Amino acid sequence: MTMVSRVKPDIDFIKEIQQIGGENLKKCYQCATCSVVCPLSPMDKSFPRKEMIWAQWGLKDKLVNDIDMWLCHKCGQCSEMCPRGAKPGELMAALRNMAYRSLVGPSFLGRWMSSIKHLPKLIAIPAIIYLIIWFITGSIHGTPFPLENGKIDYSLLFPGDYTIDPIFGLATLFIIYSFYKGIMKLKQVFDSQPKTFVVGYERPKTIWHALYDVIKDEVLTHKKFKDCGEEESDEAKFKGHLMLFYGFLALFIVTGVVAFTHWGGKVLPFLHMKYPMPIYNPIKLLANVGAILLVVGLVYLTKRRLNDTGKDASSYYDWYLLGLIWVIALSGILSEILRWASIAGLAYPVYYIHLISVFMLIAYLPWSKLGHLVYRVFALAYARMIGRVSTEVDEQKNKLFVI
Amino acid sequence: MAEKIGIYIDKATLGPYMDLDQLVEKIKNRWGDATPIIKVFDLVASEEAKKDIKKDLDSGAIDGVSIVGPSPREDTEYFDFGPKVLVDRVNLREQGVMAFKNPDGSPLKPGEEPPQLFWDMVMDYINMSVIKLQKSVPAEGEPLETEKTILVLGGGWTGIHAAQAVADAGYNAILVEKEQELGGYAAKMYKSFPINPPYTSAEDPKIEEKIQALKNNKKIKIYTGTQLEKLIGQPGQYTALLKTKKGEEEVKVGSVVVATGWKPIEPKYLEPLGYGTLKNVVTNVEFEDMAKKGEIKRPSDGNVAKNVLFVLSATNLYEDIAKQEEEERKKKLEEAEAADSEKSEEVDIEETFEPIETYRHLDYTSEVTSLTALKQAGYVREFVPDSVAYIIYEHMVTPGVYELYYKSAQNDPGIMLTKGKVTSLYAGNNDNVIVRIEDNLLGEIVEIEADLVVVPTGFVPTTALEPVINLEYRQGPAFPDLDLFDGYADSNYICFPYETRRTGIYAAGPVRQPMTLARSVSDAYGAALKAIQCIESVNRGVAVHPRSGDLSFPKFNFVRCTQCKRCTEECPFGALDDDEKGTPKPNVARCRRCGTCMGACPERVISFDNYSVGQVGSMITSIKVPDNMDKEGPRIVILACENDAYPALDMAAKRGHRWSPYVRIIPVRCLGSVNTIWIADAMSKGNDGCLLLGCKYGEDYQCHFVKGSELCNRRMINIGETLDRLGVELERVRQEQVAIDDYDRIPEIIDSFVEDIIKLGPNPFKGY
Repeated sequence: MTMVSRVKPDIDFIKEIQQIGGENLKKCYQCATCSVVCPLSPMDKSFPRKEMIWAQWGLKDKLVNDIDMWLCHKCGQCSEMCPRGAKPGELMAALRNMAYRSLVGPSFLGRWMSSIKHLPKLIAIPAIIYLIIWFITGSIHGTPFPLENGKIDYSLLFPGDYTIDPIFGLATLFIIYSFYKGIMKLKQVFDSQPKTFVVGYERPKTIWHALYDVIKDEVLTHKKFKDCGEEESDEAKFKGHLMLFYGFLALFIVTGVVAFTHWGGKVLPFLHMKYPMPIYNPIKLLANVGAILLVVGLVYLTKRRLNDTGKDASSYYDWYLLGLIWVIALSGILSEILRWASIAGLAYPVYYIHLISVFMLIAYLPWSKLGHLVYRVFALAYARMIGRVSTEVDEQKNKLFVI
Repeated sequence: MAEKIGIYIDKATLGPYMDLDQLVEKIKNRWGDATPIIKVFDLVASEEAKKDIKKDLDSGAIDGVSIVGPSPREDTEYFDFGPKVLVDRVNLREQGVMAFKNPDGSPLKPGEEPPQLFWDMVMDYINMSVIKLQKSVPAEGEPLETEKTILVLGGGWTGIHAAQAVADAGYNAILVEKEQELGGYAAKMYKSFPINPPYTSAEDPKIEEKIQALKNNKKIKIYTGTQLEKLIGQPGQYTALLKTKKGEEEVKVGSVVVATGWKPIEPKYLEPLGYGTLKNVVTNVEFEDMAKKGEIKRPSDGNVAKNVLFVLSATNLYEDIAKQEEEERKKKLEEAEAADSEKSEEVDIEETFEPIETYRHLDYTSEVTSLTALKQAGYVREFVPDSVAYIIYEHMVTPGVYELYYKSAQNDPGIMLTKGKVTSLYAGNNDNVIVRIEDNLLGEIVEIEADLVVVPTGFVPTTALEPVINLEYRQGPAFPDLDLFDGYADSNYICFPYETRRTGIYAAGPVRQPMTLARSVSDAYGAALKAIQCIESVNRGVAVHPRSGDLSFPKFNFVRCTQCKRCTEECPFGALDDDEKGTPKPNVARCRRCGTCMGACPERVISFDNYSVGQVGSMITSIKVPDNMDKEGPRIVILACENDAYPALDMAAKRGHRWSPYVRIIPVRCLGSVNTIWIADAMSKGNDGCLLLGCKYGEDYQCHFVKGSELCNRRMINIGETLDRLGVELERVRQEQVAIDDYDRIPEIIDSFVEDIIKLGPNPFKGY
């Protein structure tokens, strides 16, 4: 018995997608040029053609449960080649934006993250918290810009043990929990979707194996970005994203080491390190290299977004993340420079901005575009499990048949 | 009859290949006093040559002109000496030097003495030209007094525009409408597809304004509630018998525009789509009515419909009907054939009208139904803001500017389109209709629950249902049907829109092809101009399309007529009526001068002043046939239709193709005019084969006279007996279909026929 499904379009859903980046989707006339030019699309039920008609028809259930939105890396070739200007790439991005917004609660966070008009509220949360702290510590020191032996020390105003680590720790726990919920939900919807049987494909043994493969083959090498194209803008995207990724990785390691030695040092005193670290400390060096990578990567990506508007339009989600990372990187570097320069009146406010922006990056992570860090990696691993891969995944074994 | 023929030879054509003095000498020896002037010009297609020839004509030294040089299709402006002077063209450029190849395949070499074969060819063609001129008289035409009023049948959108166009061109129009009001279906529509740029939204056709303009126009007389009872006579001189509200009335008209439009297809053909069984399935005509009244309501409960599905694709649901119709058609055909073979000798002129009903009218209407679905989906969205309209199509047919309309409809978030096949419709809760769609773009079989389903209507042309033009013609009251167009007024719509097979009667609008309002307007203008052109041709005694301006017409030698009625039956245009005994009564203004009657006549009593059985027969018999085929090759007569085959031969030669030197090409007006006696003439004179090159017939026919090449083919079957009597093999005669763009095939067609003939051996009549 063939499966028959009853379809019921949701016009409000169509309008919603149109508002968050898919405004041209109705223009699609299903010629499938997009799926043909896509370097990543699997051969069976290829994207983004099918997503286009689902969106035109307002088939919400199908779209929100679609794993393919995560397989797309938005090179923009489909949008560029589309004879009708329907911009399939924008739809795929819009779908991801929709996922960031509504995959996990609280729903107000998703809503606040989706539009610039809510930005003040998102800034206000960390701004008020750290302003209060600043006010209290400032009062204790008798000045809002205290010095230790004539030197700027940010921990005077924002002592890590009491004002940073607990707050960021809580935020981290919150997002870990949110991501856990998000992944469980993704797994549930992916499980519910019909699968095709692929012949000639060797499945990873477990999801962990798949995850390992994804990180090794795709995340660390950015292979998918390479596959996406070789034009100047693709190169810029590849380089920018790669640098940003490794910049963050460096900073993550730095933060990890710092947290480990600091808190570990309380139990095992030999782990303790003295702060601020001297500039020749390898950890400090790594931090600075990370910061530089961040900035260079940002320059690449920002330039591409400003110039390459034809192929890949940018939504609020894109600019929010890019802008935020700019603020983090610049305020971080400036904090260091101003500290050396001992300009207390500027250094402390800049550091304050740095704290706010880092808080915004971490605490709102699952609802921002950066959520792809987790969701996409999971989806790619899941896709490997079910054999939903493009033929290029394994050059030696690319004779796949889909049943 | 030309008695003193001047022969003018083009040096540019023949000079490089043969000694022209010798040629002149040969012609002189052959024709003597019959060709008192033979001149060679450096370039015959020149003002100097023209002046010179004119002088010869004016001096009375000659009364006929034969131009030996380029194809008759070239340089025509240099060889027109008025209607009283007979001119013939000997095509020795394209079909002579350019096409000639020696038996070994080599071309002629400039500056070298040509082979005897070429000499023979040149002399054959020149001899044929002289004979042709000798057996011609200048055609005089038969001008008729004409009525400069045009009858427009049908007062709908097309008819209104046609009447207006006639009046705008300064002629009188009589507009006859069956209904009490003008406007037809266009007046019943809520809106039309876009008519004006930017072609993105449905619009009001504003038909009321147009009707008012007609009513105010003194050149237009409007009859509503009136039917055409009878149309008697011929173009330029028709009498139309009208049955008006007050009684019968006779009006004189010169020509007719038929714009009688269409009727919706019989409901039985919509049954596979649930129409009639499911309460909430309506046709797009019914839907349009609802929209015109201002509300889209479900028939079952009168509630406003919010989910409306338009079906444009259900070929699969028609499989049974299609099979049944196909079987019935076959059976009918077989019966007709059986009846035909029973009384093959007896000529039976078909004159009864049979209505045509077929589901295929639905298919033919696909452009209009596609656009209608887009338009009506727009109504759904316009009437209820949160409504959804689905269009399930197999082919979204939106040609030309309508692509813009499709795009704009597509942009509405509430209009859902998919290609797909509707495989079943059944009732759901609350009389909703559940539609199953397979092979769609959504990637799986889906079902949609709709409040209301709208199914398409087929445009059944009025000419499929009744004779409409009610002619008092021997061949019957209606347009003759070719069994090809399912009742649409046949117009060979690719090449010659508006033309019908009844001269002086032009079809416009959906009666000839389902079409939109915008296209109907251009149709109306086109047909109106055609109707005017017809009147203005008849009054000068010249033919209309496709031999526009031809002064000749068929003349009948009734003394020898045996009243066999073949001409009356076969005339593709119904030009001949007859009396009780069967003697044909020609109507010159209905005639298109194709000569089909001439080809049909077994007694050969029909001829044109400049084209006759005897003339072509003499030309054929003048071809010099060598006694020894093995040594000097066979001779093959090619009768080539001058509409497509002859120009295709010229084109082939111009593109560097060459063909066998053994053939002699004679142009004919149409293969329909080929009298079987010509073939007998050719064979009895020892020619080894006869090739007939004519247009395609049957489906996609391209014959300019519609039936000519088909009739010729039928006659070829009969010629078997004649050949048999002569003891000549049937394979010596072959008919091939060529289109004008078949020039690359033509040499192959000729050469392979020649090869087959050589294999067959010499004609047994050779040498007698």
